[in-house]
Amino acid sequence: MNAASGITAAQLTGRHKADENSPVRIAVKDLNFYYGSFHGLKSVNLNFHDRQVTALIGPSGCGKSTLLRTFNRIYSLYPDQRAEGEILLDGQNVLDSKVDLNELRSRIGMVFQKPTPFPMSIYDNVAFGLRLYEKLPKADLDVRVEESLRKAALWDEVKDKLKQSGMGLSGGQQQRLCIARTVAQRPEVILFDEPTSALDPISTGRIEELIEQLRSEFTIVIVTHNMQQAARISQFTAFMYLGELVEFGPTTRIFMNPEKRQTQDYITGRFG
Amino acid sequence: MDALNTVAGAAPPLQASRVRSGRRVADKLLIGASTLATLIGILVLGSILAMLIIEGVKGFSPLLFTEPTPGPGSEGGGIANAILGSLVMTFLGILVATPVGVMAGTFLAEYGRNSKLADLVRFLNDILLSAPSILIGLFVYTLMVRPMGSYSGWAGAVALAIIATPVIVRTTEDMLRLVPSTLREAGAALGAPPSKVITAITWRGASAGIVTGIILALARIAGETAPLLFTALNNNSWFSPNLMGGVPNLPVMIYQFALSPYPNWQQLAWAGALLITITILALSIVARFVIKSERAR
Repeated sequence: MNAASGITAAQLTGRHKADENSPVRIAVKDLNFYYGSFHGLKSVNLNFHDRQVTALIGPSGCGKSTLLRTFNRIYSLYPDQRAEGEILLDGQNVLDSKVDLNELRSRIGMVFQKPTPFPMSIYDNVAFGLRLYEKLPKADLDVRVEESLRKAALWDEVKDKLKQSGMGLSGGQQQRLCIARTVAQRPEVILFDEPTSALDPISTGRIEELIEQLRSEFTIVIVTHNMQQAARISQFTAFMYLGELVEFGPTTRIFMNPEKRQTQDYITGRFG
Repeated sequence: MDALNTVAGAAPPLQASRVRSGRRVADKLLIGASTLATLIGILVLGSILAMLIIEGVKGFSPLLFTEPTPGPGSEGGGIANAILGSLVMTFLGILVATPVGVMAGTFLAEYGRNSKLADLVRFLNDILLSAPSILIGLFVYTLMVRPMGSYSGWAGAVALAIIATPVIVRTTEDMLRLVPSTLREAGAALGAPPSKVITAITWRGASAGIVTGIILALARIAGETAPLLFTALNNNSWFSPNLMGGVPNLPVMIYQFALSPYPNWQQLAWAGALLITITILALSIVARFVIKSERAR
């Protein structure tokens, strides 16, 4: 245990053991990313395992969010951003121009840094994604909405006010609402982009517990600035620096026994 | 050492107090000047309103809303035909301007974000926004009144629509831009196509602002006189249902009656002016209320 990292051994043991035999869900191969002429990701190669939480850590601007945003091609909303290389989701290259973006995005959910409830009722927020692709009768829709809110640990708090606006919830509840909305589509992968950085410690704790529960069903990738959080909730950790992947491995090994000097320096707080 | 201490110790307080008193004077001057300017503004506005209410209320009677405008030299009369004409043309104008304005504003804020066409449209819209309204009147006169050979309510409504459109385009674009881009990303991340993101998320998020823009455009065209002079003109009787020929309306009625030598016409002009002012005031209050209720949500 590296004492200077401030990560206790207890945070790294038990349920957090990485399953390295788990099948690969997403394989990133020689991925390069450009913001206009700026080279944001440099030849990244990385595998994400099924039903495991992989944390992307690194100092601001290192490309971790950029990497996350390539998986569902959300970057393509902005015309000057482009990715080259391969990202294989179950063997299919998501960067292929023939891929149906909307279908891809219904398979890869995303939760953002700031909670993004839509200006509509709690019920409609959760049903939004369902109504896009599945024509469900009202009764089935009700069931799916309840199921999703339960999975997001929000049902008990909102079951009596499903018709009220989602904007009226607290920040932590809004973030769980966004998770429910994502879960409702039954995606294969859920991407979390610093999901707790705008939340208080209690709400953060609830979201972390939730991510741990969601792992049994989904492949999860989470970008975080908080190394303790990465250690607490992830099985695998990737450390990135200046657009490059420096080191990847089981979280326990990355934090206890990093191979690279840069990783060691970052997790012990010497830079970043 | 002593000399240094004296200098260092004595000088700063003296300087500081000089600075402070200078600032205090400047502060007082600025407060005085801005208070005076505000009072002058309120005084002018207040005396206009007071005059309007005193003179206008004298003419208020039920007949105002039932009788058409009287002919020259005849007694009594109301302004019912002008009220109805104004309502019809304003309504038609806003009916045309709203879809055009909202869609164009949506193009500027959503689809055309980085396009040259959007920059051009925005530039032209800003010019249209500040164009003298009499030019719009002349434009529609050339375009419609001359070819049709007659003044008409249609021409009046078109002129009002042209004035209302840029107001709605501008507010729609501004309000849509206030919707955070993370909401658009969140919609897209669920697999919603752009059209769905716009209609279900960003329009909804900006709805209060867009509605406010439409109400303010309504208030703006309700009082426009110049564009109607060349298009709808005026008429002293009930207008024909097909809106051809001169269509009576409040602004031009006020303009003509106020300049007339007949006391009953002048009185009706005051009453009409008060009515328009109350309407615009009411619309502005409704607009504020819409914004407030949105913030409270």
